[in-house]
Amino acid sequence: MKHPLTMPVLSDTMETGRLSRWLKKPGDAVKKGEVIAEVESDKALMELEAFQDGYLAGPLAPEDSELPVKNVIGWIADSREEALSEEPQPAGEQPTAPPAPAEATQAVPPSPAAVPPAKTEAAPSQPPLSRQTPPPPAAEETTAEGRSPVVQASLAGRQQPAGGITPLARELAQELNIDPHSLPTGPAGVIRAGQVLAAALAGPAPDLRHSAEYDIKRPSGLRQKVAENMAATTSTPQFQITSRLHLNTLHDLARQRELSFTLLLARVCALTIQKHPRVNAAWTPQGLAWRTQVDVAIAVDTPDGLISPVLRDVAGRPLEELAEDWRILKDKTQRRRLQPHDYEGGSFYLSNLGVFPRVFWFDALVPLGASAILAVAAADKAGRCAITLSCDHRVLAGADAARFMEDLTAALENARLEESTQA
Amino acid sequence: MTQEVLYWQALNRALDELMAVDEAVFVLGEDVGLYGGSYRVTEGLYAKYGDWRVRDTPISEGSFTGLGVGAALMGLRPVVEIMTVNFALLALDALINMAAKVPFMSGGAFPMGLTVRMPGGVAKQLAAQHSQRLEHTLMNAAGLRIVVPATPQDAYWQLKQAILSDEPVIVLEHELLYFSKGLLDETLPPPPPHRALCRRQGRDLTILAYSKMAVLAEEAAGILAGQGIEAEVIDLRSLSPIDWNTCTDSVARTHRVLIVEEDCRFAGAGAEVAATLAERCFTRLEAAPLRLGGLDLPTPYNGTLEAQTIP
Repeated sequence: MKHPLTMPVLSDTMETGRLSRWLKKPGDAVKKGEVIAEVESDKALMELEAFQDGYLAGPLAPEDSELPVKNVIGWIADSREEALSEEPQPAGEQPTAPPAPAEATQAVPPSPAAVPPAKTEAAPSQPPLSRQTPPPPAAEETTAEGRSPVVQASLAGRQQPAGGITPLARELAQELNIDPHSLPTGPAGVIRAGQVLAAALAGPAPDLRHSAEYDIKRPSGLRQKVAENMAATTSTPQFQITSRLHLNTLHDLARQRELSFTLLLARVCALTIQKHPRVNAAWTPQGLAWRTQVDVAIAVDTPDGLISPVLRDVAGRPLEELAEDWRILKDKTQRRRLQPHDYEGGSFYLSNLGVFPRVFWFDALVPLGASAILAVAAADKAGRCAITLSCDHRVLAGADAARFMEDLTAALENARLEESTQA
Repeated sequence: MTQEVLYWQALNRALDELMAVDEAVFVLGEDVGLYGGSYRVTEGLYAKYGDWRVRDTPISEGSFTGLGVGAALMGLRPVVEIMTVNFALLALDALINMAAKVPFMSGGAFPMGLTVRMPGGVAKQLAAQHSQRLEHTLMNAAGLRIVVPATPQDAYWQLKQAILSDEPVIVLEHELLYFSKGLLDETLPPPPPHRALCRRQGRDLTILAYSKMAVLAEEAAGILAGQGIEAEVIDLRSLSPIDWNTCTDSVARTHRVLIVEEDCRFAGAGAEVAATLAERCFTRLEAAPLRLGGLDLPTPYNGTLEAQTIP
């Protein structure tokens, strides 16, 4: 018997994942719990473990292929011979042509064993190599055996879309003057109206007809996500406000206590934010979301791109605890093991480019879900450094930001790491 | 005055009201008189109007339907009851060769105010020959009109409209709907005879159905709502002609259509609906129209199997 391996769902919003590489080949023995492949979601890399003992069997999804979640990507066979043989798929997964309209196929008494389930289930369960891999729509989540004969008959012969564009989407693309071929496909490789509308609302694509020769390469999941997140901020009205200050005290303290400088920056920001709660609020269509806990998302540069792990409750917890959390987050970042909870939901953002000594000023975009992001540049020869706060003008006005910056600058210069008892 | 009545009572009331005001209206069929109708639809009419206007016929559908045709040619308004649609097979000559065609072939010289009432659909273990759905056969006969009331209110309205119409109208009822309950308001003005009605508004998909399946579709929509899917349910109410405007308006908004019919799927009533909607709404569709219909096989006698052959 061959048991299917499917593309795992790594997060709530994950619709497709990339099979990075197989660590085993067909015929290899696998044990339950052994890592047999690496799968990438938009931000995390996950090791796919074998769910039982057996032998890896093909057809395997090709490496570096992007597939919808819950799609079959490979098989575990009970025996090595089965794994290596060219046997057809087990019952229920058999890819067949749609049944002939002969009455015979439907006249079978609808007992589970006798009903030919494969014909309706074939498309969703086939491995990707045969190019028919739509994710089963919600109604088809039941097994073939669980469906009534009437439903099976109505789905038999129905062409499962594998690529192409729906009539509605084509019409919309025409009306909105969008080239359907420039669109990314949705589930099952089908372009739907939603994609066309999203493209229409997203703004024009560049016209590279007169540009120098170019190669199109799909960005990594992480870079793609960053692009989406940044594009999403275009409707946030933003302004910047800059202060110049000396950060030597904080640097010295960091060295002395062997703590990360960025961690201390975050800490001082969080304590200051407590006195300026508006900086911790976020705009939503329903109203401002006021938060008391300060969760600081700290921008980190990785070989795969930018990601901002979130340190929780930076104002409220002891520094040692925060340091340990930060160490864990950095470790996870390096090993590409961050989970959505680790990088989503920050209430304030911090970006430190101070390690680049020639960059004396920069600003950052305020991500959705926060109202402010602080950009810290390198110190100049005199030891002064420019910090720039970008603000969501729907939440903060100039004076609000200025008041915050006055307090923040003072706190940073004095390296106030604990809640002050003074007024 | 609105009352809760049974489907058969609504039909009975419609007949009674029209027979009271127009002597041209008369009823004929098997067991309609003394017995009061196998589904009680003509209950009490024999006692009220006598055997001239409520006529028990022999078991010969071809003959008495032909008699109805003849009466209609002379300007009367016969209401023929065929006990089930299965028996209408014996009356097809009268229905398709005569009722549907004489007005055309006579250049309109002869009226055809004939109404033929019959229940169809799968009941409870009446076996293959008594469980047929022949709406597709009747739909294809140009010249016939077919209405399919799903509720007592519609049964009342549509039977009255059928009797008053000068065209041959088939009122296709359903055995399992006769004892269904619903509100009846006799004073409410009826919609135009063949208009489809939206029974439930939605935005994610359109479910088109008729007769008992329309009732089922509403229930299904309720279940779907619990899963976050808002289905729009349209009761076709008429299979010939079909109210395409109501259907296309709905599909243009939801972009997906599910057709639910008790008719066997192959060349069933739903096939016409699917084809026409694909033609009229092609560029508004996100997916091909899907038909959920009866299995293409004679209805089994076994109750469990029977239940599995229809949606």
